[in-house]
Amino acid sequence: MKRVGLFLLPLGLFLFIVVFLLQGLFSDPREIESSLLEQPVPEFRLPDVMDASIEYGPEVFEGELTLLNVWGTWCVTCAIELPFLTELRQQGVRIVGLYYEQNMDPDFGGKSLPQIRADIDRTLSQLGNPYVFNIFDESRDTSMDFGVTGAPETFLIDRQGKVRLHHVGDLNERVWQAKFLPLYQELSQ
Amino acid sequence: MIRLLWVMTLLLPLYASAFEEVYGFNNEQQRQLFKELTEELRCPKCQNQNIADSDALVAQDLKRKVYQLVLEGKDKTQVIDYMRVRYGDFVYYQPPINFATLFLWLVPVVFIIGSVGMVVWRRRNAATELDTALIAKAEKLLNNDKTQENNP
Repeated sequence: MKRVGLFLLPLGLFLFIVVFLLQGLFSDPREIESSLLEQPVPEFRLPDVMDASIEYGPEVFEGELTLLNVWGTWCVTCAIELPFLTELRQQGVRIVGLYYEQNMDPDFGGKSLPQIRADIDRTLSQLGNPYVFNIFDESRDTSMDFGVTGAPETFLIDRQGKVRLHHVGDLNERVWQAKFLPLYQELSQ
Repeated sequence: MIRLLWVMTLLLPLYASAFEEVYGFNNEQQRQLFKELTEELRCPKCQNQNIADSDALVAQDLKRKVYQLVLEGKDKTQVIDYMRVRYGDFVYYQPPINFATLFLWLVPVVFIIGSVGMVVWRRRNAATELDTALIAKAEKLLNNDKTQENNP
């Protein structure tokens, strides 16, 4: 009996460590649960990137199921997901862009607004335009309120204006099918 | 030419330190608080760096926000809470004690208690084992003596 115990104890410990480390191999350290989940979107008041006279606030999410996609023309991965997002738009998904420019940052050297608009026009005409409109977060304060760590990131926001899903990284067919679609279908009913 | 390049390379660290202090403070406490906070807040983009070390855009933004909040006279917990609301417990290098992290504190305690218990248990068992062996040996000797006494 004692012999068996002496044999089983290290074996059990070994198996436990193996399982623990094995799941560590396949876990994505970038998967941090957003603290905004199930919370209403943070307060903001920002202009349209193309037309500074148009202003948006949290009310743009009310009544419509929306994907909020954080992006920029400087962001390589965003360019990769644009065609897929455009496909989604053609299927009837409402996508709003939260645009920010890292070149507006004094640390990175300036870039003028007309230049940004020209870049956006060029990028969207080349790769497809999935956006109903783009909110311009110049100071990146709203991005910070959303807990954005970089671009691209995508939020699923329900009709009540609550954040239901936060995805860090590009949105592709696989992610859409596995992560978004079940919840999206449930919420769109 | 190459020598000139060498000299310029050697001078590079001077440039680096010249750009270091871009934030101005009202007093020394604020400077200290800013330093402390940027060293203890974790960059959400680059995982194993604090925001003082990281050059990621989000780390720059967090630093600027920390600076703003410190200038506004917010204390340490207020700044940390501000970041926690947005980036979760992940953003601070000191995790709170809750259900998910409880085992971090419990495992060492359980391990210490377990190993002390194990040592005590083994020592007691070894002692009794020794005792029975000694007793058996002693009894044998005693019996030997008795038989020798009976058969002189």
